[in-house]
Parts: sequence; C-alpha cells; structure tokens
Amino acid sequence: MAMEFLYALIGGLIVGVLFGFVLQRGRFCMNSAFRDIILLKEFKLAKSVVIALITLMIGFAIFGMAGVIDLAPKPLKIWGAIVGGLVFGIGMVLAAGCASGTTYRVGEGMMGSLVAGMGLTFGALMTKSGVLVDVKTTLQTTVIGTQLTLFGEFGALTPIWMLILGIVGAVLTFYFWGLPALKKRTEGEPLIKFDNAVESIFKKAYPWWVTGIVIGIIGTVAYIVSNGVLGITGGWMDLSLWFTTGNVVVWAGFIIAGIILGSFISAFIAGEFKIRVPKDGLTLLKQLIGGILMGFGAVTAMGCNITNILGGVPQLSLHSIITGACIMFGSWIMAYLLFMRKE
Amino acid sequence: MVDITETLDVSGEVCPYPDVKSKRKVKKMNSGEVLEILVDYPLSAERIPETMESLGHKVLSNEKTGTSAWRILVQIK
Repeated sequence: MAMEFLYALIGGLIVGVLFGFVLQRGRFCMNSAFRDIILLKEFKLAKSVVIALITLMIGFAIFGMAGVIDLAPKPLKIWGAIVGGLVFGIGMVLAAGCASGTTYRVGEGMMGSLVAGMGLTFGALMTKSGVLVDVKTTLQTTVIGTQLTLFGEFGALTPIWMLILGIVGAVLTFYFWGLPALKKRTEGEPLIKFDNAVESIFKKAYPWWVTGIVIGIIGTVAYIVSNGVLGITGGWMDLSLWFTTGNVVVWAGFIIAGIILGSFISAFIAGEFKIRVPKDGLTLLKQLIGGILMGFGAVTAMGCNITNILGGVPQLSLHSIITGACIMFGSWIMAYLLFMRKE
Repeated sequence: MVDITETLDVSGEVCPYPDVKSKRKVKKMNSGEVLEILVDYPLSAERIPETMESLGHKVLSNEKTGTSAWRILVQIK
C-alpha cells in the first residue's frame, strides 16, 4: 500500500506538473479550441488538438502493439455519450474552460476557474454517487457492442488501424499545415533557435504544433506509467474525497495537484501569475453552474474531454468519438446563445 | 505620442470576453481612431492583436505592463 501510494504520488505529480506546465504555455483548452472555430474563426488551438490526437494515436498504437500498455476503448453507451457530451459542451462554455483548461487556470490564479473546478467536483460527485445517480444509470443502460471502435469490435487489428490513421494524419497535417507555415518563414531562419531556448521554453507561448506534439507525448507517457488514460474529473473527485472522507488519494488526484502546481510554476516564471476574479458577480455564478454541468456530463459520458478526446478517440472508441463530437456541438450551441445571437 | 480615442479595460474578464468585447468595440469606432485595450488574460493578449490584424486594423503597440497585464493599441482602419 505504501509503495503504491508513493508511486501514485511521485508518478502522478511528475506527469501532472509537466502536463500543467505545457497546458499553461500552450494555453491548451478545448473550450477555446472548439468554441473559437465558430466564434472567432480561430483555428490554432483546434490544430493543437488534432496534432495531439495524431501523436497519441501513433504512441498508443506502438506501445499497445509492443504489449507495454493494455488498450481499452470504452463500450458505446450511446445516450450517455450524446447527453453527457452535449451537457459537458454547454457547461464548459459557461465555465470558461474545459476540464483541463479550468484546472490549469487555477494555477494561473484565476479564482473563477477555481469556482468552476469546485462546481465540476460537486456535479461529478452528485452524478457518480449522489442525487443524480439514477439519471446517469438510466442514460448508461443502452450499451451497443462490447468495445466498439470505428472499425468494428476492438481486437488485434485496432492498433494497426490506429497506426495507419495516425501516420496518414501526420502526413496530411504536415502537407496542409506544416509546409505552408515553413514556406512563410524567411529564408535561412533556423527551425529552432538554440541561443534563446530557455526563453522559448519558459517564457514564450508555445506554437500550436509544439503544444500538440508535447501533449501527445505526455499522454502516451502517462498511459505507460499508469496503464490508463489521463483524466481530470476523476482526479478532482479523488482529491475531494481524500479531504472529506479520508479515502486515500490515488494517481488521478495527484495529476490534478500536479497540473495546478505545474501551471503555477509556468505562469510564475513567465510573469503571468496573478490572483484575479471576474469583475461581474454573474460571471462567477455562470462558472459555478458551468462547472456543475461539466461534472454531470463527464460522469454520464464516462469521461471529460481529456479522457474521451485525448484518451478514447486515439483508440478509435466509438463512444469517445460520439462524446467528442457532442462536446463540440454543445459548445457551439452555447457560444451561439451567449456571444453570437446579439451581433 | 498617439492620441488615444477610447480605452477598453477587459482585465478580470474570462475567456472569451476580452476577444469578443474588443471585436465589438472596434466595430463601433471610426477610421483612424485609436483604441487602448487593457487585458490580463494571456491567451487573449496574444490573440487580440492577431484578430485585429486579420480584421485589417493596425496594431500600433503591444506591451507587457506588469504581472499578467498587457496594453494593446489598435488604430482602426
């Protein structure tokens, strides 16, 4: 037990700190990524998500085939995916951050995100074991197949499909996004400038492709270390149960503590840490409600955006793909209602 | 020295209000006028100048004025 606890503590903290650091440097938030496709017609973060997915697909496939990790796509619980995904997407726009975005912003000193994180925990616990447990159970009753993926039931062929899709994706993104960006560079300018590497790593915002690749690598490393996908919502629940009931915190809880710490370190070094609060009280209330909706959505859909999109989609889980699409659609509905209708 | 026509203080605002409010503000302003935007949210501080340039406005300056605080000057096209 003691060893297990230490392993979770040290492993979780190290992965969490790295993850939090990169989330803050890359401003990696799926709320911004999805919402701004329609709201600001801004695609950089969406591109980071795609690059992360491709990296994870290749990483999971290689280590899955090598027998280092056990791939485990989720079973398709269709109503859980649709309702949970939509509610999560609506919630994250209100909360001004997805599960991971909310967590890293706590480390930047944004008190509104702390409120959203509390809401996320509360909503998740309500749904997991509280007053909303029947709603969740009902929504998760219909299960299609056992571990359905995009190419039929999960099996020995799945990692091969993952590898093929990952490589095709890598080639396509390099051709359509990488080459034009390279061409724009002035002649003779090196790809990486080593003389100011410290500045680039610790003080500057990361370019979208760097963020995507590094997050993909961290997700793969996390899978190898814990033999499971990264998650956010479970970690918030773990931490709160540890504090309130004495349940011993495990891996996922230390990931959360690590993300907040890593983001704090990153923001502090770059001169971006400041305790701040929204000017408008209504914003705080919206963030709390958004957090609760995200908590309900994450437990109902068997995972937040990180677990489903960065964990399940690379394994081609149909459940995670549908959840991901519904999260995006939910965020578009709410972005339209909140920001676009009046224009 | 640039004459600042109007100031938009979006410090403390959460994502994506700084971006949305800046976009709405410049729409209402006249050609040649200068908008000063005060922002404390890193992602918006990076994106507002990009958005303004893609809208055709001129970003006169973008300076970090303190801990997580930026001041952006935009001249309307």
